[in-house]
Formats: sequence, C-alpha cells, structure tokens
Amino acid sequence: MTAKALRQPASLRIVSGAFLAFWCLIAAFPIAWIAVMSFKSPVDAFDSNPLNVIFGPATRADGSGWSILEIGLGLAVIWVTARLTVRRAPPLVASYSPGGYVALGWIVAAVLIGLGFVLVFFGLLPLVTDLLNPILGPLGRDIIGATTEHYQTVWIERGFIDNFRNSLIVTTGVVTISLTVGTLAGYGLARSGSTLAFWILIIALIFRSLPHSVLVAGYLPVFINSAEWLAPILGENAPTLYGKPAAVIAVLVAINQPFTIWMLRSFFANIPADLDEAARVDGCSHFKAFRLVIMPVMWPGVITTGLFSFLLAYNDFLVTSLLLDASNQTMVPAIAGMFNRETTTTDQVVAVAAAVSITAPLFLLVMVFQRQIVSGLTAGAVKG
Amino acid sequence: MAEIQLHGVTKRWGNFVGVDNFDLTIADREFLVLLGPSGCGKTTTMRMIAGLEDPTDGEITVGGRVINDLEPKDRDVAMVFQSYALYPNLNVYENIRFPLRVRGTDPAHHEQRVMRASAMVELDDFLHRKPSELSGGQRQRVALARAIVREPNVFLMDEPLSNLDAKLRVSTRAQIKNLSHELAVTTIYVTHDQIEAMTLADRVVVMEKGIVQQVGSPTEIYDRPANTFVAGFIGSPAMNLIEGDCAGGVFTTDSTRIAGLDVADGPVTLGFRAEDAEVRPGEGGQITAPIYTLELLGDATMVSVRLGGVLVAAKADKTFRAEIGDMVTIHVPQEHCHLFDTRTGERIGG
Repeated sequence: MTAKALRQPASLRIVSGAFLAFWCLIAAFPIAWIAVMSFKSPVDAFDSNPLNVIFGPATRADGSGWSILEIGLGLAVIWVTARLTVRRAPPLVASYSPGGYVALGWIVAAVLIGLGFVLVFFGLLPLVTDLLNPILGPLGRDIIGATTEHYQTVWIERGFIDNFRNSLIVTTGVVTISLTVGTLAGYGLARSGSTLAFWILIIALIFRSLPHSVLVAGYLPVFINSAEWLAPILGENAPTLYGKPAAVIAVLVAINQPFTIWMLRSFFANIPADLDEAARVDGCSHFKAFRLVIMPVMWPGVITTGLFSFLLAYNDFLVTSLLLDASNQTMVPAIAGMFNRETTTTDQVVAVAAAVSITAPLFLLVMVFQRQIVSGLTAGAVKG
Repeated sequence: MAEIQLHGVTKRWGNFVGVDNFDLTIADREFLVLLGPSGCGKTTTMRMIAGLEDPTDGEITVGGRVINDLEPKDRDVAMVFQSYALYPNLNVYENIRFPLRVRGTDPAHHEQRVMRASAMVELDDFLHRKPSELSGGQRQRVALARAIVREPNVFLMDEPLSNLDAKLRVSTRAQIKNLSHELAVTTIYVTHDQIEAMTLADRVVVMEKGIVQQVGSPTEIYDRPANTFVAGFIGSPAMNLIEGDCAGGVFTTDSTRIAGLDVADGPVTLGFRAEDAEVRPGEGGQITAPIYTLELLGDATMVSVRLGGVLVAAKADKTFRAEIGDMVTIHVPQEHCHLFDTRTGERIGG
C-alpha cells in the first residue's frame, strides 16, 4: 500500500502519462512510418492520404498483401520465438554449457534460435498460408497491401548483402579491438596511481576531441603508400591498405579508443581494489585475478562500452566513405549512393527499405542487451 | 613451521615514511596483534607480509625462507579484508571454494573442505546466497571461511571487525578467538581497537607513525607501558598523565604532591590508571582539586578533575556521590605510579 502522501494526484498522473505517450509517438513515428512505407509499392508509399499508405490499396491490387491469417500466424511465430528466448533458453543454456563457457553457450543458442526463426518464418510459414488462404474465405483474403519486393531489390539486386557483410567485418573488428585494448588499458589506468597514468588519460582526451576528418587526412597517405612501406616486412605481397576494411578499422579504433578507455576506466575504478588483492592472496596471478574476479563483475560496463563502439563503427559515414572502395563499402555510405538527381520514386522506396534494414539490427541489439545497458549506464558499479 | 621474521622492514613513499625499520620475530602459532591509531603503518606492515606492497628495505622470511620477491599467491598466506572483498558474482559456497579452485587442488575434496570451513563459522544455511543477500556479520564470516578453507601457514586479518556493530563485534571477536585456538595457525591481526588487541593477542605490537613503540603481552603493555604514547593509548580510560617536577623523590605540581618516588630530579610525567587511584572526599590524598565531571558507569563512578588543562580520572566506588564542583582528593598508591621522562616520553621508573 502506498502512503497517501507519496501518491501523485490523479491530474498529474494523467498529464505525465499523456505526455509520455505523446513523446513516444513523436519519437517512434519516423521509424515506424518508413517501416510501413518500405513494404508498399511506390504509388502507395507516396500517397497523400496516410490511410492509403498504411493499407496500400495499389499494392493489394498488384496482388501482394497479407491476410488476417498471415498477420496472425506471423505475429504468433515472433511472439513464440521471443517467449522461448526469454523464458526457456536461459535454463537450457545454463544446464548444457560446460562450466565457464556460458558465453559460448549463448552464442550457440542465438545461432540456433536465429536459424530456427528464419526457417519457420520464411520457409514453413508461406507454405502453410498458401495452403490455408484459399480455404478460409474472408480470413484468407488480403487486407493490407504489402510487398517485400523492395527488400529483394535492395539486398539481392543492389548487392546490399555485400554492404551488410562489410559492415559486419568493420564493426566486429572495431568492437573486438577497442574492447580488448580498452579493458586492459582501462584496468591498468584505474589501478595505477602514477602521474603518468593521469597524463595518458589527458592525452587520450585530446585525441578524442580532434575532428575525425583530421585523423583521416593524417592516415590517408600512409594507407595509400602502404605497399611501399610494408614491403620490407611483408615482401612482395604487401597490400595497399587504402580501400580495405582494415584501414577503416584502424581509423575508427583510433577515434573510438580514447572514449572506451575513459569509460572502462571509470567502471574499473568503481570496483574496489580489495577484490583483486583478495584474489591474488587466494591464489591468482595478477592476470588471472583480472580474468576470474574482475571481468565477471565488469560485464555490464563492457557491454555498454561495446555498444557505444559498435554504434560508432556501424553509423560512421565520413571515414567509411573516404577510405573504402566500392567493393568494400559498408551500409551507411551505400545508402547515400542510392540517391541522385535521377532518383525515381521506386528508388526512393528501395532506399527506405535499405534504411529500415540498417535500423533493424540496432533494435535487436538494444533489446537483447537492454538489462546490461541500463545497469551499465545507471549503476556504473557493482557493490561488493 | 611458520615462524615469520621481519628484518629492518621499511616502507617509504617519496619522503613519507610508512613503516620505519621494523624488526620482529613472530613465533609459530602465535596470535600477534598490530595495534595503533590510523595511519600508523600497521596495515602497511601486514600488506608487506601478504605481498600486496613491496618493502622499500629489509627482509621478510616465513619459516626461514625469504619471501620478499614472491607473488602473494606463492606465500601461503590467507587474508581477511576490512571490506571482506567477497566476489559479488559468486555465491557463498563458490566464494569459499575459490582459493581451492584457483590453486587446482583435488576437486574431489572441495565439497568436504568447504562444508567444514562453513560449519566452523556457522554458515551452512547460506551457502547458496549471493554476498549482496547477506548481512554484514554473515559476509564477515564468509570472508573468514574463505581464509580458513585452505589451511594456510599464516592468517592475516585487517581490521575484520571494524565494519560490524558493537554487539556483533563482541560475539565475532569471541568466535575469532575460539577459531584461532582451534586452528593453531600463526595469525597477524591489525586493529585500532585496544580491546580487540587485549582480548585476542598473545603479543601486541603498538605502533605509531611507522615506528614500533612497544612489543609485549597484553598485560605487559597494560601494566608497564614503555612510553607516554602507549600509556595514553592503552586502557579505557587511558592512563592519566600529569606533567610536573621531581625533586628528592617528591613529584609536585600546583595541586599534586606525591612523595617517595625513586627517580632522579628534573621534569617528569607521572602516570597512573583510574582504577588504581582512590577517591577520598575532603582531605588525605595527594591530588586536591574540584570535581570537573562525574560519570556513573554502573559498576563504578568515574570522577574527573582538571589539572592544568588535562583531565585526570579516578574510579570511585559505585556508591560514591558528590556534586560537580565539590573538592575531592585523589590518593595514588606509590607502587601504582608510572614515571616517564617528560622530554623523550620514555619510561624511567615506577
């Protein structure tokens, strides 16, 4: 029972609730709207009547759309998948993964769930609905016009799948390197009381404050001439780094590393040094204490920091567009290439579909790690 | 055998001397307490023995082996931290098992050893809880169990009771005393609480400003303090210290006159304990002054008078009654007088 004094007056609750709902609507609207647009034929997508955009009569007239049955079954599959992931997966992972390899168990589980979902949603579901739609009458008739042709255009004809792969390479590289260096450096700097550590942090801050284009300008000649200066080490096969993902990874890590070091350092500083010392007296070497005692406590911090460096690498436009050649382009600069003066409405809807494709993984990522991110952002520390 | 020897152990940070030229031999199975006010170097000394701090100078040996350059894990010591330092992601059972696990001892014996250690500190019912779900006293016992599970050569305890409330402190103190008797392992215990030192120790080392002031059994330290620092630090209340002059065996200040002392002429600090003095209303004592304050302790009455800026306390009978401001005299039997050199603070007689 809440004390009367602590309860908010009804008017305040209504106003704050209404404001929150209004704000959510405004915040979510652009994303939701382009998501709807991306499934429509160009005529519907740019219709002046918003209801036509939502229900897509022209798209339906073209013969593609979703029936009530399809929508229902689709939502059900999504719901069951989410439910399985949240409820059933944790105990299964815990009981099947060998001690100390729970993270590995989760990776396997994620791959299995993803594969299963794709198989059922894109393989089994169309077969079932094709069979049932003619039998069920009104339930089986298309009510919302929707087409996935733009996604097919983007991913297959325009080669967005290559851009996706490149984005994956760049972000994986950036996140792995900046987290590895960042945790080790952050831990060292947090535990060291020397003035050198302080100055290293200040220098890192200065690097962070440089405009990104300055860094790119500095790296450019080095990458273009890399075949020359790498030759003494790698011999004949020395690569030209310009245009390769490795070059972008190097620059993005350089941009991002000061931030990850600072952030991880403050997480480590919040973990009492007594913990490492207790572990060392209990029988760990310094590194083993870091691995067995400090890292398990640090996961929220590592995940939060990892998310930030992922976002930086994933969303970067300047560095990727300057340093990558066409065959290695990531998703964000690829979208920019989809617009030009001759852009047709079809091209625009295709670009919108590409934009939705870029956003979807971000949603998924934040959903999966939301608990860790929240505790990483708010608490910042684990109390012993 | 785990006899610990410290030879000229010194710790300096720049110009600041944390521990100065510490020499001590700690016998096997001895319970040694390092006692002193905060910042006196007692914790630093312990951390140097644990290997968490490198001595600037000197040598530490355990069982005849020099351990200066050994990692903490190779020193075969176990430590209880003031903050307990429990691993927050592990439950109580795993916390206690941790030293066994990382040292790679035979897993077949883990359960039995953890159960025995947890039974010794009465933690059996909490083995599956996380540290965050425990009370302060329970966490403290987990830290103790984690230290004893491995049966190390040396126990180090860094103010293990200072985060507990007063009542729990008394019972846990008794538990530690009993444990140390049962385990019979060399123990070094750091505290600023002189009651802990008196009750637990075989021997007490009193430290101040990085320098050892006195080493001795609790009774020696209480009955024959080596200098005015120890005299003023040990005892509750601490020893009364009155500065005055001695001439011909007679100690005098404005309001004090004690004769028959065996000491050379000159400035002398006279010390006596409150319970050794006798309060007499009216005439007949050696110190005459108005009562500054009266405290009823239940088993006694503490009478304080003010002598030239310092409070001097004497224990009177529990039935003693007087008003603040009444004149009293305090009689100090000559055999209970401690005499210190006023200049150096060293004990010179009594």
